[in-house]
Amino acid sequence: MLRGVRDSLVVVVPLTAAAALLPFAYSNELLLFNFIVFLVLAQGVNVIYGFTGYLPFGYVGFFGTGAYGFSLAVIHLHLFPLVALGLGAAAAVLLALLLTPLFRLSGAYFAIASFAAAFAVYEVVSNPHLDAITKGPYGISLSQIYNPQLSYGVAVVILAVTLGVTVYLKNSRFGLSLRSIRDDSLSAAMAGVNVVRARTLAWLISALIAGLIGGVFAWYVSVFYPETVFGAEFSVFAIVFALFGGVATVSGPVLGVIFLYGIYNVIGISAPQYFQLIYGLLIMGLVLFLPGGVVPLLRRWGIDVP
Amino acid sequence: MMLEYALLAGAIFGLYFALAGLGLNLVFGVMRIVNLAHGDFMMLGAFSAFWLFRLIHLNPLFSALFVLALFALLGLPLYYLLVPPLLRAKDPEMLSFILFFGFSQAIEALAAIAFGPSERSLPGRLLGRGPIRILGQAFPAAWTWSGIASAAAVLAVYLYLYHSRLGYLTRAVMEDREEALATGIDVHFVSAIAFGLGLALAGIAGVFAPFMLGSATPSMGLGLTLQSFVVIVIGSLGNPLGTVLGGIIYGVSLMFMQTYFSSWASLLPYVLLILILLVRPSGLLGRQVRRA
Amino acid sequence: MKHSMQVLGGIAVLSLLAAAAPARAATKAPAEIKIGTLYASSGPFAGISMPVYDGLKLWINQQNAAGGVYVGAFHKKIPIKLISYDDLSSTATAATLYNQLITRDKVNLLLSDSGSVLTSPAVPIAKEHKQFLFDVSGSGAAFFTKDNPYIALICLAETAIAPKYLADFLNSDGAKYGLKRIAILYSTNDFTGALAKAFTGFIKSAGKLKIVYDHGVPTSTSSYTVLINTIAATHPDAVVEMGYPGNDIAFLRNLRDVGVKFPFLFTIYSGTEIAELEHAVGAAAMTNVFSYVAGVTYQYKVNFGPTTPGFRAAWDKAYPPGSGAEWGMNALYGYHTGLVLQRVLATTKSLRQLDLRKAIFALSGKLTTLNGTFVLNSEGAQVGEIDPVGQLRPNGKGGLRLDVVYPPRYANAKPIIGKK
Repeated sequence: MLRGVRDSLVVVVPLTAAAALLPFAYSNELLLFNFIVFLVLAQGVNVIYGFTGYLPFGYVGFFGTGAYGFSLAVIHLHLFPLVALGLGAAAAVLLALLLTPLFRLSGAYFAIASFAAAFAVYEVVSNPHLDAITKGPYGISLSQIYNPQLSYGVAVVILAVTLGVTVYLKNSRFGLSLRSIRDDSLSAAMAGVNVVRARTLAWLISALIAGLIGGVFAWYVSVFYPETVFGAEFSVFAIVFALFGGVATVSGPVLGVIFLYGIYNVIGISAPQYFQLIYGLLIMGLVLFLPGGVVPLLRRWGIDVP
Repeated sequence: MMLEYALLAGAIFGLYFALAGLGLNLVFGVMRIVNLAHGDFMMLGAFSAFWLFRLIHLNPLFSALFVLALFALLGLPLYYLLVPPLLRAKDPEMLSFILFFGFSQAIEALAAIAFGPSERSLPGRLLGRGPIRILGQAFPAAWTWSGIASAAAVLAVYLYLYHSRLGYLTRAVMEDREEALATGIDVHFVSAIAFGLGLALAGIAGVFAPFMLGSATPSMGLGLTLQSFVVIVIGSLGNPLGTVLGGIIYGVSLMFMQTYFSSWASLLPYVLLILILLVRPSGLLGRQVRRA
Repeated sequence: MKHSMQVLGGIAVLSLLAAAAPARAATKAPAEIKIGTLYASSGPFAGISMPVYDGLKLWINQQNAAGGVYVGAFHKKIPIKLISYDDLSSTATAATLYNQLITRDKVNLLLSDSGSVLTSPAVPIAKEHKQFLFDVSGSGAAFFTKDNPYIALICLAETAIAPKYLADFLNSDGAKYGLKRIAILYSTNDFTGALAKAFTGFIKSAGKLKIVYDHGVPTSTSSYTVLINTIAATHPDAVVEMGYPGNDIAFLRNLRDVGVKFPFLFTIYSGTEIAELEHAVGAAAMTNVFSYVAGVTYQYKVNFGPTTPGFRAAWDKAYPPGSGAEWGMNALYGYHTGLVLQRVLATTKSLRQLDLRKAIFALSGKLTTLNGTFVLNSEGAQVGEIDPVGQLRPNGKGGLRLDVVYPPRYANAKPIIGKK
């Protein structure tokens, strides 16, 4: 409990405050918004991969579903954005429920199957025969509800809640039982942990997080195409950020996003063609030399990070 | 007429997809690692064929032999560099997945820097002019040749695995790595050869990619890896004939979809992959992939 | 009369908006005119983005070599500073970079990247920051709305009207040539999908031709052999394939390889990117194919800037073979964008965004460049030049030329329709 309070004070409060206040000092608000999106997505990956060991390679599927669920609720049902946001998140959770049978698969198979599932959703959404429902490949325009200030504010709230969830998972009994499943599901089950229920819950929370931020993303950018919100780079970035910092920690994914997405925006503006190369080599180096990420390294050096 | 055409075209494409999946299957079977850069080696094979033709007018059939030798040799040092550290780790399957994803990104980036982003294709006449008629249906000559080359490569792998000493050892490692180690087999050497062979097969499949798939771009790799994965998931692991079966089932269903439900055709590999993984993962793969 | 009332009303509203906008000190001439844009060096849109970017750079270099671009508001030439970033074909990256151009670099003129997908993030951002967006070739219908005065499409006609002449030709002359059954195959992206939708609409409402096949395939499709066989089985007289250059190349190659011929065949890029397609497919497989006639193959009577051959000479000098720059329609788009900006800067009252809007709307109907006549509708969509229909013929030197066959006022040749 005490550790939870400490983690909140060290990570959640300052990060949320920074996200809320920085727009007053720095004018490229969209860059800040993208930071928030990746902070949330990296923590979402952390919830499912860090605490259960299942790598959601197709995590973007939930993000895109959230974005489309939100947009279609606005277009067809004329709902208020905040209500539509709930519907978008519900759509993502529904998709996650549909995909729960994938948990029967082990490591790499789960990753590939979830990747395929994200592609499948994208193919359905962008199919021209569904033009009347999803606008097919022709894209979404939500100019009638465009409101960058409010949607930015909602994104900050989602960030705070998501960080709160990881603090809870790290310090609670529930998080502990999840990690015991990850390390050895058989002994966890023998110790009385309801393996299937705990894992499904983590999966749904993770999908909910991605669905919510996907909906806000759609609200904030307001004009987009299916390939915008189903781009594989969302999954890839979120996973790499989380891995770099170290999963199953609170600060790991945060460090990953701030450091790597920061570099991305610096290199991305001066020498973008080398970016993918640097990223690829970085991933390889991580796996070979630093499989646990940065946070365990810092801890080994005696720096106590949450 | 449309149905027969879809079936025949599917069979030809099936042979090609079998070739594409074979290398991935071999690497997975021997090392239990997922080579997510498999499709990128196919891409490199395609660009090798393109440049060999552009620079010295080499016919793709000869380029295939050149690529075979080059990629097999490349595979040995790559194996010793990347794979043994992985196998020592706690969860090699998962780590290999991430490691080779990074490798795939790096290859794609280097290729984009070296070759530029545009699509490259080879003239179809290099593999024979005009259509070839099979059972009354007209097919591009290049398809027929690619199909024949694929069949030859699959046959060669079959002969290697079942009628050579090294192939026998390879199958022993596939069966049980620990036991093979205990009986004194040089597991790393056998694995390195299999890794090189896997890359070489990807390279050959790549050489024919401009003819079968239309063109080559540096970013084509990940999609090809996924398609190859679908093929080996449908077929069974460690058995070249199983991969051929997987390839043909995949090829025919793809052509069938393109003929009758063209706009939904690209949905097929993903749905097929998920369904088969869920319905018969262990049966089709010949190994346990489920857990609690 | 009604039209002019609308224009007057629009001007009144705009003047109000202009008065309400914070008045910046615009009296002093800036040291440089900052033009901001994005390009895609890699990814799916690199092929259309890079030639536009190269064409734009050519115009900027020409202006700067002549001492800068003439800005009417200050009665003098001012050097151009190009601020450009690479979005790698990613919309998420493009969004932050557009914002960077507006909020950090504070560019005077904001240009979008090529194509609808990479233009899409710029539309709401520009509107939000009251920055006028010079939309180079993002023709998505969703961008042009009554409530957004901060956008104008520069290069190509809005997709809803672009296929009009092609449809008119088939509807009015098709029967004469025995074209009764039509097959339509398109790539499902925003651009060609919308073109096909508009085209199918024209054919259906005229009711002259029977549509025997109408399907979309993913833009990533690169093998058309089975699709061609399926289309041939419906016995069409006319086949219209609408895709990106890569799709057109694969389609034409596969057609040649299986030896199937249709009496009438149309593809978008066989005429507009002749060089690229001829290189990939070969002249024989493109002979008698119908296509759009764009400024790159047709010489418009210009009232501003060079003609197409003049531009071509400058292009070849700036980008000799091997430089990697690709000549074609998109190269011309980049240069035409520059010419439009040149007129805008020469006539605008100030560098305020709404004055820029006024200046570009004032050009509507009055400017004809190598890309044809520039006409905007009230929402900022381009409705000027609708591309005529042409047919590729051997030029006698082993290559191809494009003859204009429709509409009659442009035509210089009669169409040749093949036998079934």
